[in-house]
This record gives sequence, C-alpha cells and structure tokens, in this order.
Amino acid sequence: MTLTGVHFKKATAAAAAAALAMAALAGCADTSGTSSSATSSGSTSASAEPATSGEIVWWGYTPGSPVNEQYIAAFNKQYPNIKVTWKQTSIDDYDAALRPALGNATGLDVYQMSAGSANGGAAVFGGNAIDLAPAVEAALGADWKSKLSSTGVNALTVDGELKALAAGAVFSGTIWINKDLFDKYKVTPPTDWASWKKACETFSANGVTCFVQGAGQGAFNIDTIHAIADNVSPGTFVKATKGEVPWTDASIVKALGLWKKLFDEGIMQPGALGQMQYPDANNRFMSQKAAMVMMGTWYSQYLIPDVMKSAMQAAGSTAEPFTMLPINFPDIAGTGNTGSLFGDVDYGQGVSAKSANQGAATTFALWMGTSKEGQQAIANSLNLIPALKGVTPDWNTVKLVNSSAQEGPMKDLIERASAVNDAPRFATISADMNQALMDALAKVAAGKSTPDQAAADLDKAQKAQG
Amino acid sequence: MSSTVRRRRAEPAPTTKRHPVRGLNGLPWMLPAFVFVVGLIYYSVGYTVYISGLDWDGLSVKAKAVGLGNYTKMLGDPVFWASLEHTAVFWVVTFAVQTLLGFCLAAIMHSGAKLPTLHKVLIFIPTVLAPATMAPVFRLFFDHDGMLNQILTAIGLGGITQSWLANETTALPAVMLITIWQWTGLWFILYYAAMSQIEPELLEAARLDRAGNLRTLWYVVWPSCRGTTVSLAMLSFIGALKTFDVPYLVTTGGPYHSTEFLGTYIYRIGIRQAHIGYAAAISIVLLVLAVVGAIVIGRANRTQREN
Repeated sequence: MTLTGVHFKKATAAAAAAALAMAALAGCADTSGTSSSATSSGSTSASAEPATSGEIVWWGYTPGSPVNEQYIAAFNKQYPNIKVTWKQTSIDDYDAALRPALGNATGLDVYQMSAGSANGGAAVFGGNAIDLAPAVEAALGADWKSKLSSTGVNALTVDGELKALAAGAVFSGTIWINKDLFDKYKVTPPTDWASWKKACETFSANGVTCFVQGAGQGAFNIDTIHAIADNVSPGTFVKATKGEVPWTDASIVKALGLWKKLFDEGIMQPGALGQMQYPDANNRFMSQKAAMVMMGTWYSQYLIPDVMKSAMQAAGSTAEPFTMLPINFPDIAGTGNTGSLFGDVDYGQGVSAKSANQGAATTFALWMGTSKEGQQAIANSLNLIPALKGVTPDWNTVKLVNSSAQEGPMKDLIERASAVNDAPRFATISADMNQALMDALAKVAAGKSTPDQAAADLDKAQKAQG
Repeated sequence: MSSTVRRRRAEPAPTTKRHPVRGLNGLPWMLPAFVFVVGLIYYSVGYTVYISGLDWDGLSVKAKAVGLGNYTKMLGDPVFWASLEHTAVFWVVTFAVQTLLGFCLAAIMHSGAKLPTLHKVLIFIPTVLAPATMAPVFRLFFDHDGMLNQILTAIGLGGITQSWLANETTALPAVMLITIWQWTGLWFILYYAAMSQIEPELLEAARLDRAGNLRTLWYVVWPSCRGTTVSLAMLSFIGALKTFDVPYLVTTGGPYHSTEFLGTYIYRIGIRQAHIGYAAAISIVLLVLAVVGAIVIGRANRTQREN
C-alpha cells in the first residue's frame, strides 16, 4: 500500500482533475456579473446575420400549445431548414427557469421577453440578449421604427438596444362572457352595477357561477382594479404607477372600495382568494360552470374552434365549443367612463447572447416580429394585436366558433386596442409595486385593510422605491 | 502453511515512521466525494453568504455591497417573521400529528390486522404522489363548493363550511392537513420497521408482568422507537424550514402571506422581485436555523438517554 511513483502520478492526476472540477463548479456558479461577459454587461451590441439553416430552441410561456407549434409550422414553410423546438414553462416558473438556462450556449437560443414587472421582463433579462436593431433595420429599412408599434419597441429597448422583437401586444380591461349561457338564462350582458348584480342573481339561481376570478393569483387582480380605477377616473391608475399621482388619491380609494364591493355583494365567486386565475378560473369558465371571467385580448384565441376545444378538454369538458364574447367592464362607478383598454407588449423574441445558433435564431425573431407572414400568422391566431402596423386578422381565413356573433365584436376590440396610446398594463409597475398591489388588494378583499389603509400602504411602497 | 507463518513472523516489524507522501493514501478514493462536498455544497454556501451582502437583481453587473444591510432589513420585515412563525407552528403540528398517526398505525399493523399489504399500500400512496398533480385537486377539495364542504354539510356540520384556502385562519391548517396526509405514510413505514426490531422477549416480559396493550405501547414500544422519533424530528424540522411545494402550489403563500414559509418567501423575494441579495440573506438564516435545530434536537436526545 505504499504510494509508488505510478500511484503518486495517479493521485496527482486525480487531484488536478478535482481542481479542474472545482474550478468548473465555481465557474458555473459565478454569476456575480463582475466578469466582462457580454451577457451580463447589458451592452451586447454584437448582432447576428440572419441564417437560413440551423436548429434552435425557443423558450417561452405564451400563448402555449398548439398555437406556438402553428407559428413554427408557418415559419417552416418559408425556412424549411431551420428546426425550431418550442420549450414551454408555466408563466409562474418562467423567470426561475430562464435564469440558469441563459448561462448555456445550447438549449436556449430564442426566448420570450416582456415589459416591466411581467414575466421575463426585458429590464432584467435583456442583458442576456443581442441587439436586434441592425437586423431589423436590414429587414425593414432605416425607418423601421415607424413600421412597428411603438409600444413594443419602447418596452423591449434596454440601454438603447433592441433586446427583443415584439410579436404583438395584449390589452386588458375586458370581461369575457359565455353567450350561450347568457342566452340560455335570458340574461343581458351587464353594463352597470345593477345589471351585473341582477345577472349574478339569475346565474346563481340556476347553479352557474356568475363571475369567476382567481384572486389568489394576484397579477390578474391588478387588471381588475385598473379597470375599476379607469371607470372611476380614466388614466389615474397609470399616473399612480408612475408616481405622478399619490395612491391615496380619492379616485383610487374609491376604486378600492368598489373592488371590495365585488366580494361583498356576490359578484365575485365565494372563495375567490383561494383560487388561481390559471388553471382554476380559466377551467371553470372553459367548462361552462361560470358565465364571466376577467381576461384580456389574449383570450380571443379561444374564438377559434380547435384552440377552444383544446382548452375545454384541458378543463375537463367534452362539450362542443361555445360562443364567447368580449364586453366592456361594467360602469360600476356610475361615471359613464367605460371601454377602457390598457396593455403592453405581450412578448417579444430575444436572441441569447450565448447562443451558438444566433443566425438562425435571428431569422426566427425577425420572422415573428417584422415579416408580413409571421405577423399575419400571429394576427390570425387572434392571440395578439400584431406589432407590424397594418396587419389585421384575415377574416376570410380565420374560422370562428360563431362568426356571425363574434366577428363584429372582435373587429371592434382589435380596432380599439390598436388605437390605444400610452395606457400600459404592467410596463410602469415595478416588481415591488406589483407585490404591494397584490398584497393590498388581497387585504381589502378579505376585509383586513380598509380602502384608505390599502391606499396608504401602496403610497408607502411607491415612495420606498424612490 | 506453518513455514509461511514463520517466515512472516520473521519479517521485521513495519516502521512507525511514515513517509510524508503516505499521508495521501486513499486520496484518490476520497476525491470524488471531496470535490462534490467542497466544490458544490460548501462553495455554494460561501457564495450565498457573499451575495447576501449585496443589493443585486441576480443578473446585472450593478451589484451594490450593503454589508449586513439585508440582515438588518430582515429584522423589520413582518413577512419574514410571519414566515418563521408559520414554519414553527407547521413543524410542531405536523410532527406531532404525523408521529401520533404513524406510531398508532404501525402498532395496529403489528397487532395482526387483516390485509396488511393492502393497508400499507393505501397508507403509503400519498407519499409518492407528486404535489404538483395534487395541488389543483386540493384547491377543489377545499373550495367553497368543494368536497370538504359537501361532506361537512352531509354530516350536519354545514354551519362550519367556508372557503378554507381563502381564509387566513384556515389556510395554514389546510396546508398542514395536506402535508400530514402526504407524509404520514413515511412515518408509518419507519415506525413499522422500528417496531420490527424490538426483541419479542421484551414484549413477552411485559405481558408476563401483566402490562396491557396501552402500557406495553407506552413503556416498551415507544421508548424502543426513540431513535426513529429523533430522526423524524430532525428530518421534519429541516423539512419544515424548507417547506415550499405544498404552499406554493396550493395557496402561493396567500392569502396575504398567511401561508408564507421561508422557502416560498425566498422564492418570492429572489425570483419574483429579483432581490437576490435579500433572498440569499434569508437563505443563510434558514441554513443556520437548520443546523442549530438539528444540533439541539440531537443533544436533547443524548441528554435524555444519559439520564
């Protein structure tokens, strides 16, 4: 058992291997950002020449199968030599999954980014993407900014670099109704507090949940309070998120009071605070156990029979697709200010600065965000309001569950959403304010805070972030 | 053979003075574990300590050193203290109930229950079910229109029905109930195994001394399972500190942080709100609590055994 020369060499080799392994481990964990890596500097001016072949992995959380696969199929008609693999995570897990994945050269080439405090926010993850501006300029010309929606360009530009190319925008402020249930029970869509309450009484008497919201998943509560606040005083909510108006403003306090009233007077389903918007509320609406749900323009994808069928099956329903329609948030404040829509870029495609397939990845991002074909595919999926100006759904191609009832309201919604200017949904809400809003709304709903106290808490949180 | 023995005996005794290089004996065998432990675990702990002194979002280069700022911030953070309180209550309740149920079920199974294999499988199944698949089921079970309320109404307890997960006073007990349902099977299996190790003569002696079932359980079986109980106490204490999946999947820590645990809070602060430095500081506190708790439980057990 003596350590002979051979043994000693082996031991030395093993020690060297161990040292290398430790160094590698240290390297893996070193995300301090003190290195000069382009990925962490936030300034990755290097852009890639688009390529026509390669294999790429596309990470994201929206809109989900089968729509993403349909985009890929449309892309492959033009670029058959680029293989795209869609890698989906849940919306809540996206940020956590993305962080470590961005450190690798393989396995992630294109990834979805969004605005503000939403998942995959460009402010946080943009530093890991290349600048796409040169590629966009080559594709659309020097005046490319005038051809794309400013909402998408502004939200996805970080430190002067275009970190992702918007696929399109989503807007909230709408309620979706199950028209078949409304017709069945002879209920008219609510337009104010009285008609909403009456509708709920009728649905309740027939064993149908009137309005469902997963108030345990706080981000969607922010949509609802935003809609109420715009009903009370249009634009004040956004001003408060920007710090231009205190959260203690009388209109915000009144909106918080109306939010509480939704819970107290039987509009919101019992136990809403213990449920999630996805999957609970979504499933309840899709399985036709609830007549109304607070969702935005992204929900219009379910006007397409196949997509709705998939969603209904996921919700445990084997029924045929039903007719659903968007309606304005009812005028519960009695001000006459209705029809508010607020939105951000939903997501854009960024190209990982560490990707070994940046050329093919750039081609895909450009196709999604700037090509007429890609944007038409997005428009026709009814999932987003397209980023390329002038592109609208081809109603001759798009097949709806009930075209005669749905086409008109959808055209109107798309037209109104396209005209929205400077009414962000999350872009002006930081992650800390997002959490503060979720806490405040939950406390008010449960009666643990009065609207005045909650408004004061929000004001304190806003001031704390400077 | 005898000549071989003699020859061996005739060899000079090995010198006690070892060559310095001989100290490396076995190093190659030890290296994999050494690299794993030092390189992965202790390095990560050290790195977490380092970033706990930063105000950092986890990705950008803009990391500001704040010294002990994240630790002092913790002192004034009501959600952190609430998370600690929930963790303590959670541990005490789940450990006590799981121990009681696991011990009793194991004792019943050792007393000649019929269809023992079927019972063992039924008791153990929840332990192997993934919380992610069960979370939506439990949200439906505890919902206002859920099965629990239907059962309560059916047995005449309709007066206590409510939205269990939407109420701050019942959400935490609901999370504990799910955990107890999930882990009692493991407790049962371990107690069952521990009881199998008890000498039959010991039980026979108790019988000869006219000890009844309860006395035998309390004075013979329970003390004989002390090692298992101590191990489970340590495991459940560390498990309580790391609790994440059930509250995250069923309640997301809500309503308004009433089911927030250190694990869910670290995730919320670090991932959702991108305060990696503060999340790291809470992680270090969690680590310290886990180590101290394990030492205290171990020492308490040793002291009791010596007494």
